[in-house]
Amino acid sequence: MADSLLPILLFAACALALALGMLGVASLFGPKRQTAVKQMAYESGMDPIHDAHRKFDVRFHLVAIAFLLFDVELLFLYPWAVAGNATAGIDAAVAQATELGIGYSRGLVFIEVMVFVGLLAVGLVYAWKKGVFKWR
Amino acid sequence: MPAHGVCRRQTQKMIPALIKIGILIGGLMTAAAYFVLLERRMAAWIQDRIGPNRVGVPLSLFGFKDLALWGFGQPAADGLKFIFKEEYTPAHVDKRLYVIAPIVILAAALAIFAVIPFGSMLPPLDDFGIPTGGDPVQLVVAPGVDVGMIFVFALSSIAVYGVILGGWASNNKYSFLGGLRSSAQLIAYELPMGLGILGVVLAAGSLNLEKIMQAQVNGPWFAIAQPLGFLVFVIAAFAEAARLPFDLPEAEQELIGGYHTEYAGMKLLLFLVAEFLHMITASFLIVILFLGGWHFPWITGPADAEIGWLTAIIRLIVFNTKIFLVIVFFMMVRWSWPRFRYDQLMSLAWKIMLPLGLVNFVAVAVMQEARHALGSKAENLGWTLMVIVFSWGICIAAWVVAAWFNPLITDNRPRRMLATAEVDSQI
Repeated sequence: MADSLLPILLFAACALALALGMLGVASLFGPKRQTAVKQMAYESGMDPIHDAHRKFDVRFHLVAIAFLLFDVELLFLYPWAVAGNATAGIDAAVAQATELGIGYSRGLVFIEVMVFVGLLAVGLVYAWKKGVFKWR
Repeated sequence: MPAHGVCRRQTQKMIPALIKIGILIGGLMTAAAYFVLLERRMAAWIQDRIGPNRVGVPLSLFGFKDLALWGFGQPAADGLKFIFKEEYTPAHVDKRLYVIAPIVILAAALAIFAVIPFGSMLPPLDDFGIPTGGDPVQLVVAPGVDVGMIFVFALSSIAVYGVILGGWASNNKYSFLGGLRSSAQLIAYELPMGLGILGVVLAAGSLNLEKIMQAQVNGPWFAIAQPLGFLVFVIAAFAEAARLPFDLPEAEQELIGGYHTEYAGMKLLLFLVAEFLHMITASFLIVILFLGGWHFPWITGPADAEIGWLTAIIRLIVFNTKIFLVIVFFMMVRWSWPRFRYDQLMSLAWKIMLPLGLVNFVAVAVMQEARHALGSKAENLGWTLMVIVFSWGICIAAWVVAAWFNPLITDNRPRRMLATAEVDSQI
């Protein structure tokens, strides 16, 4: 893993260098002619009235929160998805639990995950009914 | 000197990595340039006009006749044009964020390819005087990354940062609205995309891209075994790459270009190249996750350790042909579908794609548990056929149910003509 980390970092560095290099080349060769109109914000020919950093619709905020909730829940499912058939996965854990005398089985894990997904679905329905996804 | 030895070994590992990075970055940038030409030619073909076919090799500089070559010089000419354009920053922007945004989006779009294989592998190159230690050369910059899928998913969501930073830093109302809208779109479609990937990960039992491809050798492609997941993933990939019918981020007619209204010259080029790279990434992912990579079902060729040149080249050709066809599909869709309206786009993501993704995930999970319970009894063709029939049944049923309840119904009367109760009933 550590061996493959280095090429990834190298790649990221090269990608950054490429982006910076392209900008550098362009600022080296391009003309530089600033005019007052060019400095203004483009608003289809009107003179801009306010700064653009103003209030925005709260629905964007709601969507961002809903995204965070569902995305985190989704990420919790990835370990389970990988552990299903892995050598040190669910089967090994269940065997270990049985050895210790704890009542635990693969079916129980599956039911737990389904309950988790069910909660996700209930959350989705709740947000839907609350009008989070209403865009009118 | 152990430290010296470690250092030397690392350096030896770095050289092939650097060569692959060079090939990949060069190849991707060239591919992006020429796919732009291909897209323009296809647009011309679909719209029954000629398209860019003049710029070829300018032999008239040396006193010969110019060579047109179907417009093959167009990308080079475009690139030169961008270099000689003014690199300018308006006065009203947040200068640092304004410059960082395009750099972030391009660097992230490129860095995804660190874990994505661009071919299977080459036989050992020792005979050509390149010491590879008798091992085959894997055509991926960072081979054997076990969390490859998570890495791809994480880096592809960094695109949102570029969009929102660009939109905010521009300090322009069009950019601001465009940035908000497109970041909401990108995050909304990340969920169905993640659910589509989750089904594949569950069936393959690994996040490693090479293992996911390997899992499609002894069974059907995941596009056939999980049609619903494939559908959800492809649609989400279109939205993530901001291609029509989901190209709301650009929305030339409404927002003058959305979050890159204030960008010009090379910075704009970085945004546009990143957008094209997202499409190429999406095509790679569709081919790797759902269309079997360089494999055909039940046709594997020799094991990886004794790969020969013939197999290596056939795999390269098969893989890249599949990717090319997916990209062409992307372009055909662009010129065939009208754009969604924003409310339709959001309700498609949350009210149709997300539930369908969940249904797909549950269906795949049930099938996987059943296969695990059956053990070796599930290792035959009958089981495979049953899985295919079951998943297609689920796909059709889910689609029919989604269409039946049709939450996409939209009343196009202006809002002032509706009573409050009517507005609420449309949620």
